[in-house]
Amino acid sequence: MKKILYSALFSIFGVTTIIAQSTCATAIEISAGTYSFAQIQGNDVPLPVCSTGGTGATAGQWYKYTATASYEVTVTTNFPLINGNTDNRVQVYTGTCGSLSCIAGDDDSGTGVLCVVTFNVVQNTDYYIAFDNRWSSNGFTFELIENVPPPTPDVVLVAQSFPNILGQYKIAIADMNGDYLDDIVSVSSTTVHILYQQTDGTFEQEAITTTSAQFLPTWSMAIGDYNKDGFNDLMYGSGQGVSFFRSNSDGTAYTHWAAPNYVFSQRTNFVDINNDGNLDAFACHDVAPNVYYINDGDNNLSFNQGGFGDHSTGGHYATIWFDYDNDGDLDVFISKCSGGGQGLAARFNEMHRNNGDGTYSNVSTAANMNHGNQTWSSAVNDFDNDGFMDVIVGVSSFSHGGHLYMHNNGDGTFTDIATGSGWDTYNGTSIEYVSYDFNNDGWADVFTNGRIFLNNGNNTFTVQTVAPNVGAVGDVNNDGFLDIQNGTTIYFNQPNGNNWVKLNLKGIQSNSNGIGARVEIYGAWGKQIRDVQSGIGFRHMGTLNPHFGLGLATEIDSIIVRWPSGEVDMICNAEINTTIYIEEGSGLVPIAAFSASATEVNSGEVVAFTDASTLCPNAWSWNVQPATGWVYTNGTTANSENPEIQFNNYGLYTITLIASNQNGQSVENPTAQVMVNSGVGLDAVLSSAIKIYPNPTSGELNIEFAGNLDNARLSVVSTIGAEVLNFAVVPNSIDVHLLSNGTYFLVIMLPNGEKHTTLFVKK
Amino acid sequence: MTMNFPILSKRVLLVPALLLTAMTLSCRKDKTEIPTGLPIPPDPTGVSVDLTQVPYPKLSDYRFFEGDMKDQNPAEGVLPYEPITQLFTDYALKKRFVWMPNGTKANYVSDTEILDLPVGSAIIKTFYYDNMLPENATRILETRIMIRKSTGWIFAEYEWNDEQTEAYLNMDGVNKSISWVQNGTPMSTNYRLPSDTECMICHKFNASPIPIGIKPQHLNKSLQYADGEMNQLQKWVSVGYLNGPLPSNILTVVDYKDESKSLRDRVRSYLDMNCAHCHQENSHCDYRPMRLAFSETELSLNLGICVDPEEFIDASLVSIIVPGNTSKSMMHFRLGSTEESNRMPLLGRTVVHQEGLALLTAFIQSLTNCD
Repeated sequence: MKKILYSALFSIFGVTTIIAQSTCATAIEISAGTYSFAQIQGNDVPLPVCSTGGTGATAGQWYKYTATASYEVTVTTNFPLINGNTDNRVQVYTGTCGSLSCIAGDDDSGTGVLCVVTFNVVQNTDYYIAFDNRWSSNGFTFELIENVPPPTPDVVLVAQSFPNILGQYKIAIADMNGDYLDDIVSVSSTTVHILYQQTDGTFEQEAITTTSAQFLPTWSMAIGDYNKDGFNDLMYGSGQGVSFFRSNSDGTAYTHWAAPNYVFSQRTNFVDINNDGNLDAFACHDVAPNVYYINDGDNNLSFNQGGFGDHSTGGHYATIWFDYDNDGDLDVFISKCSGGGQGLAARFNEMHRNNGDGTYSNVSTAANMNHGNQTWSSAVNDFDNDGFMDVIVGVSSFSHGGHLYMHNNGDGTFTDIATGSGWDTYNGTSIEYVSYDFNNDGWADVFTNGRIFLNNGNNTFTVQTVAPNVGAVGDVNNDGFLDIQNGTTIYFNQPNGNNWVKLNLKGIQSNSNGIGARVEIYGAWGKQIRDVQSGIGFRHMGTLNPHFGLGLATEIDSIIVRWPSGEVDMICNAEINTTIYIEEGSGLVPIAAFSASATEVNSGEVVAFTDASTLCPNAWSWNVQPATGWVYTNGTTANSENPEIQFNNYGLYTITLIASNQNGQSVENPTAQVMVNSGVGLDAVLSSAIKIYPNPTSGELNIEFAGNLDNARLSVVSTIGAEVLNFAVVPNSIDVHLLSNGTYFLVIMLPNGEKHTTLFVKK
Repeated sequence: MTMNFPILSKRVLLVPALLLTAMTLSCRKDKTEIPTGLPIPPDPTGVSVDLTQVPYPKLSDYRFFEGDMKDQNPAEGVLPYEPITQLFTDYALKKRFVWMPNGTKANYVSDTEILDLPVGSAIIKTFYYDNMLPENATRILETRIMIRKSTGWIFAEYEWNDEQTEAYLNMDGVNKSISWVQNGTPMSTNYRLPSDTECMICHKFNASPIPIGIKPQHLNKSLQYADGEMNQLQKWVSVGYLNGPLPSNILTVVDYKDESKSLRDRVRSYLDMNCAHCHQENSHCDYRPMRLAFSETELSLNLGICVDPEEFIDASLVSIIVPGNTSKSMMHFRLGSTEESNRMPLLGRTVVHQEGLALLTAFIQSLTNCD
């Protein structure tokens, strides 16, 4: 039935009013402009549904748009004065009628329940734009706008559906089988579902049956290897208590444990609170002092309450553990929120400093971290790469102030520098704020509320909207760009040309995940740092592998891992765009090594020594024995990286290298030997067996020797050790008139190694 | 629900001094029944609320009830009461009583604030189900008591034994797996007896423990007493539990089930009793943009109508209430959810209150604009 009435009758705003019995096949062709219609009445229901809101529509209003160029197109009904509360919804397709594919869709992105959708179009391609009556059949006004496409955003996320992410709580990414590849962990009461990431980019699915969880991760989940067997364990934070699932020896089964204590859990963490090398566990308590579980190292956790956020009515929403004062131990910041008259006293954030002796002090006021802005989590990273961890206190409500950007002054205090940063003008709220470098530019960003706050590197941020509102973060395709998982959708972060490096840590004396380790990387950018954490933001669990973006830098000078135990390991000249495994204790001071350009020379020749030490040497100390008969040359010294030595005197020399860095000097020091086949050994003594005359001489010098000269050699050596004349057979007389005036040694070397030396003067 | 309890009017009886003495003596004769170590109850009714000893280890120690305790027959001076609209607690049925020490009275503060009960007062609330499976019988799960000490209110939580003969103090919280028949349909849940910390989450104002239901706005209705029907507030005055006179015109909630009342007032009353202990000015969650006390919800904005939620759950939930659209209304989603971090109220509900949700649905569907 082709019964389309075009009635461009009247128009206040140049609006074309169209009445149509609409179907896909009879879609009205439109271009950029404003349109309106009276009623959604076409019986061709737009399917599939690309927007939120699900199925249930019974009619559609269809339009067709052919792109004359490649644009970014916006379709909007966001005219509240005209459209009022008309609850409309739009689907955008490509393809042919009867076989349409979703391009975009929207229900409520405009004011109230009006819709706005923006999508990119390709020149000469047809697009179908269909409104449906899921909520209302009333007509309305809409506009199609063609924009020049914006530059490619810094972070491009490509969504892919994974219906096999099962279980009730899909909020965690972490390695579960000890291969350090981030896996997707989703759980229910009696099942731990894991999608194990494979090296080829696929996933292997397992559903591990467990006994019933006494408490489910209704509020948060944390992952860490608390039984220190190389396989991660799970912590569920519920509104009534905390459950733990401990891995068996090969990570294929889990044993449940729960303390009976009532806990209204919020953020949970694994962290080695008492720094004994075994992970403890922490849970924020919504309505009482915070609680923690101390690990005795034998798989037993014991319940404790008090000492870390003790307000009697709680208000504790998230803890984040990091070293704010760079003293090598973990401090903790508590994001707080509380309303209600005198209950407001519970809303003030707290900072607790680790005294390094197992005790902690509340330094909230001294550190200027005691704000009462209502927050459920805060993002921590070194946002200005000055070597000190900063804190973005993101609010959940504006009732007591807005977002804070607390810059770490490096002296134990923080100052709010939100003004002008982009955080001061941001009017969104969320319970989740997490920091990672999403665009790998070497500056840590913040993910919250469907936005990535891209760090511009100058204490300002540029906001980019992204599809997932929140999610678990990890590198689930191992491409060095951090991905986001929300429900059954993985948003793959597309490589953008920036470089990166990831670390896989293995604690030995420290906890096995290296949670609490401070990682530093040095290069052209200066310094970047991360603290390894289990449980950041409010609800989710993200990768335990420290990750750094490098921007366009192509070289990493060194990577230092400062373990909770105090052990420090270092890697230098690390490769980029790869993952580096560092085991605690594997390297700290340099391992010295060097090569020599020759091992057998004649007097006066130069040997070049080339340093080959590893683990970031930055100082060298060369030693040559015997101590004389040679000299550093070409401007080098005993402290040069690659010294050059001129050997003058006959003999066997031993060269030793000690290489050092800021952590100390090499332990085993290599040696090399150089044989000098000519020249006088300074161990020679003046011999009465030689007679020479005349002395001084201007030319001829006669030689008599009281002994057998068969196979003996003769050298004339300057007083600085340089051999100036050399005879394979000792003559009775030599001519020295070409020598400069001065004193010389005359040396006779016998085949048995015996040397006889005397002095003469050339004048 | 009609209550038919024996009534007891200690204060309206003119008791001759001698008789009073005799009663006191007779109470002393009961000494053998008093738990060892407890002082002789000072109250002539036989009820014992010794502020130096409470909470007692057993519910019977208070002697709030006569006869078989599971019958919940109140002792002399123990007055039943009932709010007009009641809190939903997984369909549990409730019996409520108030008791005050001899010669003491509560004071009216305002229509919307709890009556100021004298030191020594106790409020008693027993939670039970009829048709509890497998016996399909009435079973009591818990009795919660709040006691007014000079330093403020305290909580005392009593867990009933299986024999239904006694209830024991348990302040740590416990879950009980229960099944019952609700309107002919079997239901089950993991019923929570709260710890004192959990009691405090809702029963809190200005960071101190308080009762919730004993506000004039909730009590201003008639109740059937053993000696006849009477307005509860008038009854409290008449038995000497409340200083009169009261204002003649009290702002009063409606019974949310009363279909003769306006949808809006029914919803406002329901939200007041179920939500306002956190969502009102100066309460626990007043950093969120709702104000759900009955006195605050004249304003549509306070009900969350066309107000953006601050916490994201789903892009389709665009306002706390979207006029005409329940599936876009955060409040409807939360009241219909049993997921712990999504559901509202946060505590005391593990199953959906279908009747309450139906009421909210009807209200949202009736709205056509943000005003």
